Amino acid sequence: MTADALLSAEGITVRFGGVVALDGVSLAVPERSIVGLVGPNGAGKTTLFGVLSGLVRPRGGRVVLRGVDVTGASPPRRSRLGLARTFQRIELFTELTVREHLVVAHRAHERRDRRFLADLVGLGSRPPPREREVVDDLLEVLALTELADRPAALLPLGTGRLVEVARALATEPAVVLLDEPTSGLDAAEAERLAAALQQTRADLGVAFVLVEHNVDFVLGLAEHVTVLDFGKVIAGGTPAAIRADEAVQAAYLGTSTGAGAV
Amino acid sequence: MNALIVAGLVLGSIYAISALGLVLTYSASRVFNFAHGAIAYFVAVFYYWLHTRHGWSVPAAAFVSIGVVSPLLGLFLWAALFRRLAHTPPVVRFVSTVGLWVAVPALVKVIFPWTRNEIFEPEGLIEGEPRVFDVFGVAINANQLVVLIGAAVVAVGLTVLIRYTALGLSIRATVDSPRVAGIAGVNTSVVTASSWMIGTTLAGLAGVLLTPILGLADIQFTLLLVASLGAVVIARMTSLPLAFGGALLIGLAQEVSRQWLPDSGVFAKGFRPSLPFIAMLVFLLAYQGLRGERFEVEARATRQDRPEAPAPPPLRGWRAAIGPLVVAVALFTVPLWLSEFWVGVVSQGMGLAILFLTFTVVTGEGGMVSLCQMTLAGIGGFTAAKLATDSGWPLALALLAGAVVAVPVGMLVAGLSLRLGGLYLALATLAFSQLVENLVFAREDFDNFGTGVEIGRPEFFGIDFDDAAPFYLLLVVVFCVMALLVLNLRRGTSGLVFASMRSSEPASATIGISVVRAKMIAFAASAFIAGLGGGLYSIAIGRAAPASFGLIVGIVWLAIVVTWGVRSVVGALIAGIIFVVAPQLVSLYLTEGWADVPTMLFGLGAIALAREPRGVLFDVVNQHRLRRLRRQTRRDERARRAAPVPA
Repeated sequence: MTADALLSAEGITVRFGGVVALDGVSLAVPERSIVGLVGPNGAGKTTLFGVLSGLVRPRGGRVVLRGVDVTGASPPRRSRLGLARTFQRIELFTELTVREHLVVAHRAHERRDRRFLADLVGLGSRPPPREREVVDDLLEVLALTELADRPAALLPLGTGRLVEVARALATEPAVVLLDEPTSGLDAAEAERLAAALQQTRADLGVAFVLVEHNVDFVLGLAEHVTVLDFGKVIAGGTPAAIRADEAVQAAYLGTSTGAGAV
Repeated sequence: MNALIVAGLVLGSIYAISALGLVLTYSASRVFNFAHGAIAYFVAVFYYWLHTRHGWSVPAAAFVSIGVVSPLLGLFLWAALFRRLAHTPPVVRFVSTVGLWVAVPALVKVIFPWTRNEIFEPEGLIEGEPRVFDVFGVAINANQLVVLIGAAVVAVGLTVLIRYTALGLSIRATVDSPRVAGIAGVNTSVVTASSWMIGTTLAGLAGVLLTPILGLADIQFTLLLVASLGAVVIARMTSLPLAFGGALLIGLAQEVSRQWLPDSGVFAKGFRPSLPFIAMLVFLLAYQGLRGERFEVEARATRQDRPEAPAPPPLRGWRAAIGPLVVAVALFTVPLWLSEFWVGVVSQGMGLAILFLTFTVVTGEGGMVSLCQMTLAGIGGFTAAKLATDSGWPLALALLAGAVVAVPVGMLVAGLSLRLGGLYLALATLAFSQLVENLVFAREDFDNFGTGVEIGRPEFFGIDFDDAAPFYLLLVVVFCVMALLVLNLRRGTSGLVFASMRSSEPASATIGISVVRAKMIAFAASAFIAGLGGGLYSIAIGRAAPASFGLIVGIVWLAIVVTWGVRSVVGALIAGIIFVVAPQLVSLYLTEGWADVPTMLFGLGAIALAREPRGVLFDVVNQHRLRRLRRQTRRDERARRAAPVPA
């Protein structure tokens, strides 16, 4: 089922001490798609992102990115293969400006981060040819142009999330994992983010995986939604199917029977 | 043999008491207390002061120093320092307690001036000549018996406390997750404060017990307690039983190995003190192999809730030129307005300033705390001195060779521990520095009865640098070149990569930066600078000597550089000059009682300024620019929000 997927996880299992955080979870992300990942707190969404991006080592299962088995690969290697992510608890570079976030990400992508000797003699500050263009475009798309030269640490949380999205996109990825991108954003900003995501998908052909608590945001944007609960996939399908699914209603949307063990 | 085993168990018991205190406080607060030995020293001196100098009885003196003063000291340090450190970047955490390690022994000498020249006949908890008991045919004296009983009581007491009391339950909960424990209603402040009080009490107890074995010299004292670090590494920082067992083993090995060691030579003297560090390196290597641990442990431990303030953008145009111009003019005109004597003093400072750029790179840029930069400098200094003086190499070539030799050595040490995280790097570099100090620098052909290896002044391009002024100017030129290279590095992509890494390793890794590679580069560059600086500093003082590159010297260096700004080349410059000039001024114009005040201030400075890695200078220069920047950012943010949402 996942042979043609851009990114796929099969049978991922993660244990923390005695707790099973993920139990045989599979996920497929086709090219140019937007896939939603929802579930109550503690369902294992962020852990799955950790496994996909290489920060958490799974006990079992495998991760395939663009046809390459990357289960044991380091985060930088996955980045070079076209994977990028944002973080639920924001991970900005506190000493850098907004523009520098994009610049360092783009240069790492272009493998300019290894020109130690060029830096030493003072040639390192000259930007590579496409950098200005790529960075300016992304700032524009995410409406960060006015703030480009401000230190990211001084920005409010919501804007910080946009900087994380922009930083991820600056690595020119094929797929971006977004961990709760709308938390801390007001309604107008969430709308603007949705528009920006669709625009980048249309322009650059980037696929997105969204972990979200804002259910309307996900169901409005994604073509396919996977629902996790207690480390297991309990449902998967189109947004319409998910809305109708009873197990999901019970476990997550919290209607009649309350939060349940499935 | 039996006597050695008893002595080994005794020594191991003292290490164990000390190691348990370290493990307990680290587990509860995630702050590793490098000043643990210094605190033990303070309590031991205090006990001596009460008991021997003021004639207090043993129980009274012991109760007041171990039972009252030690926990109060722990409470005070927790309230004043450790409490604030839990959520700061790792570098800040390490440097603050290293600052304390520098400050406390100096403080002791300032408070108790008699410690400088008193000939100690320290007693432990037993008065007079200790009685000797016969236990199953083995002779044990009363002091040893007290130590063994003390260790057993501590081990049982801690086990009961942790397993069976309400406080113990809270401690275990807090160790697992301070946040969740807090939500569950555990008062985590009470828990961490109590563990610090217990920790310092154990340090104090270890200190008093150690006194009859070791005397009261501060250096040996702090070093020997640093030896309990071996046990802490074996315990992987957190396991109390492993720490206890590891400490006993190390103590035993140290004493029992006596019978196989040769009677004289560097090995005889250096092997035993090196044992804890050999154990540490062996276990670091072993733990290196256990995968999957790092990100989970580090990610939890290094959460920064209080990141440092952002830096205002660099000045542009003519404003940017003012600072460097003033500094350069001041530096180059020094020979015009200082006497030859002072030019000589400042030359030593310039040599150190070059050396100190090593901290600017490894700690300032790389965000790592290394405790072996002075050792790398020593390797550079000895290599240059040996090649120039004994083998007749041209001095420039010998200096370069010293710098080049330091690089692979530094990379090896970093490579052993980098993947395990910042704390392990600090401990591995400490272990390495001790091994080299005890087993290499102590060799006769380097040590030469303490005088070291001579190294002469250079002669380039027909200029004789024998005189004070030309040599000084040569050092200034070298400093400017090295500082420029460091600034280039920071302004380039490497600087961005380092800054990213310092803020968030996970985020850096996921945008494609190889964190380990970047750190190795920073370490290699810093080793090169240390090697070169070590050579030049040796020339400035006329010789490469072990005393110039010892551990205590090294941590004072780190403390003073941090005080003046570990991110700034000017900080390194000022730190280098002050390190040399301040003691000279004190010895020329003040009484002996002031001798330790500069060191104490360097230590306190590091504690106070560790939160601002850019140091005193940054604070003064940039505060108002930072305020303006905040206002501008708020304004821009409002404007951005007011802009219409694109369709």
